Amino acid sequence: MGELITTLMACHFIASVGAAEIRNLRTSTLFLLVQSLLLSFIIVAFAEQSQNYSLYWWAALTFVTKVVIIPALLWWHIKHTEYIEVKPLVSFVVSFIILSIFLIAFYQMIRTYVGFIAPTAEATIEPARSSLALAFTIFVLGLYVLVVHRDAVKIIIGLHLIENGVHLALVTLVPKLPVTTILGIVSNVVVAAVMLLFLTESIYKAFGSADTLKLSSLKR
Amino acid sequence: MVVTLNPTVVSILPFLVFMVPLAFGGLIFALGRFGKAYRQGLALAGILLTLLISVIMTVRVLNGQVLTWWGNNFYVDGLSTLMELAASIMGVIVVVYSMKYFGAKTEVEEAHPYTSMTTYYGQILLFLGLMNWTCATNNIIMLYVSLEFTTLATVFLVTFHWNKPALEAGYKYLLLVTVGVVFALLGSVLLYSAATPYLPVSRVLLLTELGTIATKIPSNIVLLAAAFLVVGFGTKAGLVPFHAWLPDAHAEAPAPVSALLSGIVIKVGAYALARTISVFAPHYGTIPLFIAILCSISMIVGMMMAMIQDDLKRMLAYSSVAQIAYVIEGLGMGTYLGIYGGLMHLVNHTIVKGLLFLSVGAIIYSAGKRRISELAKVRFRMPITAFAFFVAVFAISGMPPFNGFVSKFTLFLAVGEAKLMWAAVIGIITSLFTLVCFFRAGYKIFWSEKEVHAVGAEATTATEVPAAMWAGMVLLALAAIVLGVFPQVIHPLLDSATKCVLAILIGG
Repeated sequence: MGELITTLMACHFIASVGAAEIRNLRTSTLFLLVQSLLLSFIIVAFAEQSQNYSLYWWAALTFVTKVVIIPALLWWHIKHTEYIEVKPLVSFVVSFIILSIFLIAFYQMIRTYVGFIAPTAEATIEPARSSLALAFTIFVLGLYVLVVHRDAVKIIIGLHLIENGVHLALVTLVPKLPVTTILGIVSNVVVAAVMLLFLTESIYKAFGSADTLKLSSLKR
Repeated sequence: MVVTLNPTVVSILPFLVFMVPLAFGGLIFALGRFGKAYRQGLALAGILLTLLISVIMTVRVLNGQVLTWWGNNFYVDGLSTLMELAASIMGVIVVVYSMKYFGAKTEVEEAHPYTSMTTYYGQILLFLGLMNWTCATNNIIMLYVSLEFTTLATVFLVTFHWNKPALEAGYKYLLLVTVGVVFALLGSVLLYSAATPYLPVSRVLLLTELGTIATKIPSNIVLLAAAFLVVGFGTKAGLVPFHAWLPDAHAEAPAPVSALLSGIVIKVGAYALARTISVFAPHYGTIPLFIAILCSISMIVGMMMAMIQDDLKRMLAYSSVAQIAYVIEGLGMGTYLGIYGGLMHLVNHTIVKGLLFLSVGAIIYSAGKRRISELAKVRFRMPITAFAFFVAVFAISGMPPFNGFVSKFTLFLAVGEAKLMWAAVIGIITSLFTLVCFFRAGYKIFWSEKEVHAVGAEATTATEVPAAMWAGMVLLALAAIVLGVFPQVIHPLLDSATKCVLAILIGG
């Protein structure tokens, strides 16, 4: 079981970097879908390992919202707009190399010094230790996407990377969350995603582009 | 000082206080398109009913009760009722004001593809319901959920005009606040996890239990979580450097919505900080220091940015950045005086900034302009609006005998008590510059020599707004004066709210 979780986490990490870095928005969305699918697999694996079957709620709701609803909405949006993203501030090769090195170093650092961020003793032993490090790494990756990318769709993908990172930390640290609270969190994510896409669509119509750097008429 | 948790009473009121506005919001969405009478009538009925529930709860809380519902999941004490009462009163004033503000010549000329007066009133009621839910919930994760929903409920109020600036402001508002508040979720998760070994059987981290675990969990986790929470809820409140969305959103929204956003919505962030950070502040000296530094930067940046604005609404928005910093500085001290002053300034800023935005709305309604340089050429015959505006100017700058003086003075005492004299000095300087900034704007608009500019055909005359609009302004202006001269009027409520925070802090 431990090796399976490690493999899933490694694939989750690769899918996250793919979703963040690939310039074709459709492929990027597919990577986000795979990333979320792997997240729900990781939750199932946790549930099996710790015999905590309330985590199946998390996995099921993650599947419905993050694997089905949100990628479908993104796909529908990209279908009638451009599917190559607006050029980000850093070029692909430079961004890919620097990001990969930085993220792996960051992951190793958090994993080594997990005592600083692990609130309980259980969180310092595997697999929680790797999971926590991965969650923080994905969180930082999402922040990087928000800072560097200019395309509105890519920014939505970045936001979902951040949220997936935090949700992984939530699953790892507080596995026995009541179902009502889980429902609250995922419904929140879905409503925010729908509204953000709706606004992106309206901005695309009004400004004729999905470039968020052009949204500067109010800067004074 | 002996502070204990009051006896809890099971009551359905904490549930009704957010379900009633939510239900009326839904009704408006369903029936609003049948006519003006439906949406305005439903909005007014819903908000008045909410006010009634809030008043009943306040009376019961002042009699020494704490209302709970659904186990301890909903928990209404003095702090909750204070917020809910302020929100309901502002809600009534904003709804009545909106009835006349829209439908006239001013802001409604453009076509709105996706927004209408039905969605407008519906969203105001939905927001108030979610706001009351935020203040009634006792679960730390649900606090994040409901707080994020208050943002979602107000986004389409910001984009009401559906033009380029409004869309841009709404997009920034939604994106930045959503990202910011995720930090608060991460902070809450860390606290929750650290508290798990000490939790009773329910295994849910209640806000009321934070006090009992405050000293038990490792200090590095508390500080890390506190930093995340300050970033998260600070974004919601609009503290520098997480404020980038605030001036756009508050300036591009219709004026009554701006009054709601600056008066109530950013206070939700302050409320969440009062529930979380204030509990830890007394045990960790670095938290008050960190908050004081952040808030001082907010005051300076907010005040300086306000001074260079020509757009009247942007000026008010930037001033909100500076004023919310006073509130959070007080709450971050974690002492009786600090929390008391912070909450008092929270109430006062709700009154005064609401009043400022409503009177600027009245100016825009009559003159059709919002830039100070353009308004300087308009002749004003608006005595009530001018009175309201100048009362608000003196109150927000902390001049006696208005309410801002009392709360700011309390805050300065609290900050001095915490040995952070420099922060008090920055607060005083910011207040003085606020007076200069606002008084200059008011002077240019209402008093400057119009004849000099009126040579061309440009000079127009602005006349007083309808009673439905000025009634609310006069009410708020009187409140600003009464609370300045007789601050003891609101003392029981503030005292009860402060003691509620302190009671949780020492764990009952």
